[in-house]
Amino acid sequence: MRLSDSRRVALAIALLVAVPLGLIAYKLRALGYSLVDVLPVTQYEVAYVLQFDGHGGDVRIRTFLPSNDAHQVVSEERDVSSGLHLSQQVQGPNRVATWAGAEVPDRAEIRHSFKVLSHRMVFAIPPELAVPPSYAPSVATQLRPEKEIQVDAPEVRAALRRIGGDTGTVLERLRRIYDATSALAPRPFKGTTDAVSALRLGEGSCNGKSRLFVALARAAGIPARLVGGLILAGGPKKTSHQWVEAYVAGHWVPFCPTNHHFAELPQHYLTLYRGDETIFRHTAEINFDYRFESRAVLVPSPKAKASFTVFNVWGLFERLHLPFTLLRTILMLPVGALVVVLFRNVIGMPTFGTFLPALLAAAAGGTGAGWGVLVVLLVVGAVAVTRWGLQRLELLHSPTLAILLAGVVFALLVIAMVAERFGARSLANATFFPIAVLAICAERFYLSLTEHGGRMAGKELAGTLAVMLAAYVVMNSLALQVLLIGFPEVLFLVVAANVFLGRWVGVRLSEYLRFRGLLFRGGGP
Amino acid sequence: MRLLSEARARLRGFLDRRGRMVGINRRNLTLVYPNNARRDYPLADDKLLAKERFAAAGVPVPETLAVCDGLYAVPGTVEGLLGRSNFVVKPGNGAGGVGIIVVGEWREDGSWSRAGGSALTTTGLQRHLADIVFGVHSNQLEDRAFVERRVVPHPLFAGLWADGLCDVRIVTLRAVPVMSMIRVPTAQSGGRANLHQGGLGIAVDLATGRTFRAVHRGVSVARHPESGAPLLGLELPGWPEVLEVARRASAAVPLGYLGVDVVIDRERGPLVLEINARPGLEIQNVNGVGLGEAMARAGVA
Repeated sequence: MRLSDSRRVALAIALLVAVPLGLIAYKLRALGYSLVDVLPVTQYEVAYVLQFDGHGGDVRIRTFLPSNDAHQVVSEERDVSSGLHLSQQVQGPNRVATWAGAEVPDRAEIRHSFKVLSHRMVFAIPPELAVPPSYAPSVATQLRPEKEIQVDAPEVRAALRRIGGDTGTVLERLRRIYDATSALAPRPFKGTTDAVSALRLGEGSCNGKSRLFVALARAAGIPARLVGGLILAGGPKKTSHQWVEAYVAGHWVPFCPTNHHFAELPQHYLTLYRGDETIFRHTAEINFDYRFESRAVLVPSPKAKASFTVFNVWGLFERLHLPFTLLRTILMLPVGALVVVLFRNVIGMPTFGTFLPALLAAAAGGTGAGWGVLVVLLVVGAVAVTRWGLQRLELLHSPTLAILLAGVVFALLVIAMVAERFGARSLANATFFPIAVLAICAERFYLSLTEHGGRMAGKELAGTLAVMLAAYVVMNSLALQVLLIGFPEVLFLVVAANVFLGRWVGVRLSEYLRFRGLLFRGGGP
Repeated sequence: MRLLSEARARLRGFLDRRGRMVGINRRNLTLVYPNNARRDYPLADDKLLAKERFAAAGVPVPETLAVCDGLYAVPGTVEGLLGRSNFVVKPGNGAGGVGIIVVGEWREDGSWSRAGGSALTTTGLQRHLADIVFGVHSNQLEDRAFVERRVVPHPLFAGLWADGLCDVRIVTLRAVPVMSMIRVPTAQSGGRANLHQGGLGIAVDLATGRTFRAVHRGVSVARHPESGAPLLGLELPGWPEVLEVARRASAAVPLGYLGVDVVIDRERGPLVLEINARPGLEIQNVNGVGLGEAMARAGVA
């Protein structure tokens, strides 16, 4: 190899590395791109599912829907209700939803879904802050007793004195009240517990502890209110949750004595309403039942999207009405191909062609890696069976491949039928796989089987599956996807890696095994 | 301290051995790409094209009895072979011995006996020729079939393996022999000499033509695992001529890095069977020597 040759290669690699790194630095420094926002965020998909029997009469159901605030942003709200009309109104801090309908049949259902992006909120209470002598009238209402928040009850006053909550700064008082209420023994949710009962029992569920907290805080001269909401994720459930907010220096600061959050609101809390409210009110005798469904999914951070301003492919695809999944699949394919190259040229793992594992991984992005493996095995099985059936006919190459494709299609149809017959709906995912990719897979496997025999074809199949899984992990990394969307110049780095590997004469990992005699014993086997 | 220097010496030895070995990446980048232009590959892949070059350059090859270059030529080809014994039918672009039929004696009932003992009728031969020209054995749209006189191997090779053909693989770099081995079929390999199919490799010393090592399925052996025939210390007949034939065959084509497959016919001596533009690397394991070292010894590194 001539020196000028390797110099040219080194220069190409240096350029391919320097240009994207320079672009990235420029974007970060001058254009306000943020690398931190490349990391995905958790989004919750939440649904209220309400079921009831209308008996052909009038039905009204009232509940609360979440509002946007500093903690949570609600989007993509959808309502599917069987013939009921949804009306909304704002009552104080709350968004009240009412479904009303006439001649509502039995087994009616309302499904109200939305998506939530939320942040953990942490507040610092100034340690020197004293309890102010008076509050604005709108806030002062949150000092008054309520039916189940008995601020003026002698027992509450006595308890406040006992824990020392009636003296000191705001922080000291809240700390003592918080400690006292969160130290109450837990109690499984059994309807409503008022403040005095929680105090007498020395135990409480979330609403008992929270009411006692509010009663004590109000008695201590700090405005406080109940907050109702949901703890998200963890599958379907019936329980809602209650915590409190105390008014400190112009802010409503959250506390959860039940789950021990002091001046903090965790990310997975969803606020639905404020005040001592009942989450559902409905027409009597309708056999009302409900559940809350929630699911956490990783999504690209909206901040990242907002910060990508130059050569913004994300916005471009949106304007063209092309799906986000297509964009990320396209951008990640070269990365997937690099993974394949690493496996083939550095590890020495045989695969069906260079692109096929990456294409399979991209296709599996829509269904999940497990389905990818299953579909490949299905195709390979169909090819093996069809080939066995065709062997005696000694057909020419191209017609054989066309018949193999028919075999693959039949296998997919059979899978769809099995999926329906046995109620395994998810099996139908197999048919979502791009048939073009499966056709290439079938051809490659057939060629390998014919040219190199079953052993080698089996090795290549195992290699293809392993590399597909590796490529899947890399290509489905949301952080990497957003990185490539914001910084498409990273693809130059991928090219640089390939230029390097294209000139790499090193020994493949598998060759250390193959030539172990030569390498480790200084002779043959 | 002594342990450290020992470990360092070991590591140096290992790196040294690694440097003398050639892996696939190194073979492709430093041997195949610079020496073999892609447009010249057909000269190695198409046995008939190679034979034409060899004939022109005076390299001895098995005698071609007939070439069948289309469906129209099939009946004429079969006609010309009636009554003839001991020939081989091959696809021009076959690989790994696929599509090759070895034909024995012409029989009185108007058919031939095949190498395995089964019968080959004239219709059977017609069909096989048609399959070849249709590209069944070469994954192409079309191919040519050709018929060669069957080589009668030298007794030394017949003693290694009676039912098929052993060949001598000589790796050459710019027409200089670098390394060589005998490839012997086994029953396990289905009569094929390819090492990864279970064939046996016997290393031949380039300078003396004597066998000094044998490897079967990755294990060093001294005797044929099936026939029990001794494999080491054999002296190949006419070794200088074998090397000369390999040199001339390499020089006859523009491909610089080659595996030349030579058979030694009982009467005609060394004949070139075919050439390979990407010869395998297993020959290093058979010889117990890295290709890098072998090239340095041959003075072509």
